[in-house]
Amino acid sequence: MSHLLCLSTFCKKMAEKGQIGQTPAMKNSTALIQANGLTKQFVSYKKEAGLKGTLKGFFNRESVVKTAVGQFDFEVQKGEIIGLLGPNGAGKTTLMKMFTGIIVPSAGELKVLGHNPWERSKDFRKKIALVMGQKSQLWWDIPAMDSFLLLQKYYEINDRDFKQRIDMMSELLDVKKLMHIQIRRLSLGERMKLELMASLLHSPEVLFLDEPTIGLDLVAQENIRQFIINYHKQNQCSIIITSHYMADVQALCQRLTLILDGKKGFDGPLTQFEKILGNEKVVSFTFEKAIDPLLPLWKGLDPKWNELNNQVELRIPENELRKISGQIIEQFPVIDFATEKMPIERVMKTLMNNPKLLSEYNA
Amino acid sequence: MMRNYWEIYKKFVSTSTTMAMSFRLPFVLLIVMDLCFYFTSLLTIDFIFNHIQHMGPWNRDQLMFFMAFMLLLDNLHMTFVSESFWELSMMLKTGQFDYVVLRPMNTLFSTFFRFFRPSTMLNFPIAVGVLIHYGLKIGLAPSAWALLPVFVILSFILLIQVEFIITTSMFWVIDGLGINFLRMQFQKLARWPNFVYASMPRRVFTLIFPILVIGSAPVSFLIDQSKWYWPLGLVTSIIVLGFVLSFLWTTGIRRYESASS
Amino acid sequence: MNSIPKWLETIRISISKVMAYRLNFLLQIIGPTLVFFFIKYNLWSSIYQGDRTILISGYTLTAMLAYHTWGLVVELLASGFTAMNLSEDIRLGRISTYLIYPFNFWEFHTASFIGFQITQVFIALVTFGAVALSGLIEVPMFTLLVKGFSYTLFISFLWFVMNYGIGLLAFWLEDTWILKVILMVISSFLSGAILPLDLFPAGLVEVLKWTPFPYLSYYPIKIFMGVEPNYLFAIGVMTGWMALITYCNHLVWKKGMKLYTAAGM
Repeated sequence: MSHLLCLSTFCKKMAEKGQIGQTPAMKNSTALIQANGLTKQFVSYKKEAGLKGTLKGFFNRESVVKTAVGQFDFEVQKGEIIGLLGPNGAGKTTLMKMFTGIIVPSAGELKVLGHNPWERSKDFRKKIALVMGQKSQLWWDIPAMDSFLLLQKYYEINDRDFKQRIDMMSELLDVKKLMHIQIRRLSLGERMKLELMASLLHSPEVLFLDEPTIGLDLVAQENIRQFIINYHKQNQCSIIITSHYMADVQALCQRLTLILDGKKGFDGPLTQFEKILGNEKVVSFTFEKAIDPLLPLWKGLDPKWNELNNQVELRIPENELRKISGQIIEQFPVIDFATEKMPIERVMKTLMNNPKLLSEYNA
Repeated sequence: MMRNYWEIYKKFVSTSTTMAMSFRLPFVLLIVMDLCFYFTSLLTIDFIFNHIQHMGPWNRDQLMFFMAFMLLLDNLHMTFVSESFWELSMMLKTGQFDYVVLRPMNTLFSTFFRFFRPSTMLNFPIAVGVLIHYGLKIGLAPSAWALLPVFVILSFILLIQVEFIITTSMFWVIDGLGINFLRMQFQKLARWPNFVYASMPRRVFTLIFPILVIGSAPVSFLIDQSKWYWPLGLVTSIIVLGFVLSFLWTTGIRRYESASS
Repeated sequence: MNSIPKWLETIRISISKVMAYRLNFLLQIIGPTLVFFFIKYNLWSSIYQGDRTILISGYTLTAMLAYHTWGLVVELLASGFTAMNLSEDIRLGRISTYLIYPFNFWEFHTASFIGFQITQVFIALVTFGAVALSGLIEVPMFTLLVKGFSYTLFISFLWFVMNYGIGLLAFWLEDTWILKVILMVISSFLSGAILPLDLFPAGLVEVLKWTPFPYLSYYPIKIFMGVEPNYLFAIGVMTGWMALITYCNHLVWKKGMKLYTAAGM
């Protein structure tokens, strides 16, 4: 065993005793979720390819400690919808699992609805729900309704509430006919609707959605989003959603938290996030014929050309918008142009390619 | 509280039954599988006793009674818990266990009693019939008949406690399939009376890890009711293992790392 | 001839896989065999009550223990491979990959089997060394040893085609493990792995001669113990069964493929 491993188990033990990672005072005790210095580390073993490596590994394993989430501070107020955004492997799911008490943090402090999630008190578990886009809580071989009835017993929901919620949600989601069909015969989109329903039967105070729209087509994504918006309007529960589809976040969230490599990159309102790159507009032009993309005019405008070189997307500072577009229209055979706000996808991409921008912003 | 668990259990049974019934051939094959197992187990003893008179202190019918007792336990085990062990190893591997952890109820209960096998239950009368048959042959006392069902239940409890404890190691060793095979090895060990084993393993498996108590305790006592220390040992084992299990299980759940999706 | 590298690579990967799941391998394949042996050792010692002079069906305690010790070696060498992957491949629809690869499904699984078998030979040899040193068995002449090992390796192929056949039923059957357990329960009893066939009623043994079962355990054990059977008859019956089962597997595969490609499962 390497020293690192010993260190991490040591940390873990200390954390369980609550001796490290304590920040003196919690800033706001009314917060629904409050995390300070939250950290999770995993230990795994190296495996080398090939027979020789396998033989070596058989007798002597080398361990690797990976920090999935490091020193994460986070706060959520009642009724908020928050988007956790980040590339694959950034630590979003690990965070969600800590919030819901599925895994125990290695260090740091965490309170959700006033509970330590990993103590998993029954009371706590009744107040939360987790939907995972990649896993299913519904039973593959039986209709959703059977799973719902089982969940009714799990959460001790009385018959009247149960019936009323089923009616309300199946109406909203348009799944009345699907509830009596075996899950394995349904499409992914249909299944996802039922997954959502299953998680909301007990009317949780906090809903955790881990990539709820993953793999769905655009229409299905839109349906799910619309449902979440309506449901939130009616029930005012808090929602934490992870996704790598920006459209989810744009449609649903007032606030957004960006995670890169297990650390928080940005935390604030969506509108502010868009402004990180300065006050710029995205303008796209379509030309009658191919244009030389190497002309000096494009420099500094972050041009994105299509393959035929007859269409370009530019980032233009707002104060130069008139001047530059005027020039382009004069010099080239423009047949169409359009301007839009900086799409969040591009903001993300730019940020991921240059994390410096963020630290500048945060400073 | 108890009523709620009973309600949940009824749902477990009904969903398991719905699922089992939708696969008709496996449903029938499971019954055949168990019957093959009962039959060859009894036949093995029968063939051995064609050549000898006694094994340890017991004669043919007494050993047959012991085997019948163990087969009945196996039947209960197959019906009520067996499938859950295999499901657990899968759930840990796929991360599906997340949902078990999320639900507001006792995780030991929802892990191990989730899957019910209706097909094996159909063999229950056969297993009971065989036990009664050999019970009559060895001439059990009326008091022994009265205690028999109690002992079946107590032994079943000890058996599943032992198995739950073994299974808890799945939280440390993610490859749960291997653990399931290990568990089955212990079942096999317990399927012979304690006196078969040499003194060292006998002591270890009676006093430290009491798998031999499961069958040997009740049957030894039922045959000779002066051996009061056997039922006492059985009850003590259940109590001690109960504590060990609840400690290990809580520790295990905290170790759970949840496979990444 | 350019398929040889494919076979070699598959065999190599199969060995790596076995080694990678080392704990699993230990608990699944070796553990059961050892525990089984441990039980039998204790059981028979207790039946003979430690008396080395008693004879049961011609076996002294020493001979009975030697019988079961050889049984351990034979079991490790012949019947470890479970072909579990095979049904999983079918059930999870991974079979499509093989339809695209220039390497057939049966080739892949046979190569996996051979890779597995190589590790088993190694383990069986180590076990043989250990039991030879422990004095539980008399170490036979070299030629007999070679005959015994070759015969047992031959049986491992019979086991393979049987397991392969059951695995293929995954086209129709959700849980092929049930059939596997049935085969295991029946064969371990009828093959003489639990009790030497000499303890069985004579009439039953006569019938069993025409089934594949006794050749799986009783015969190889006897060879190791120096009692050589009529090889021609034994190999003849086994080859017959092997040919029959292989042919059935071929038919089952063809039918399964039709189902698979037609319905997309």
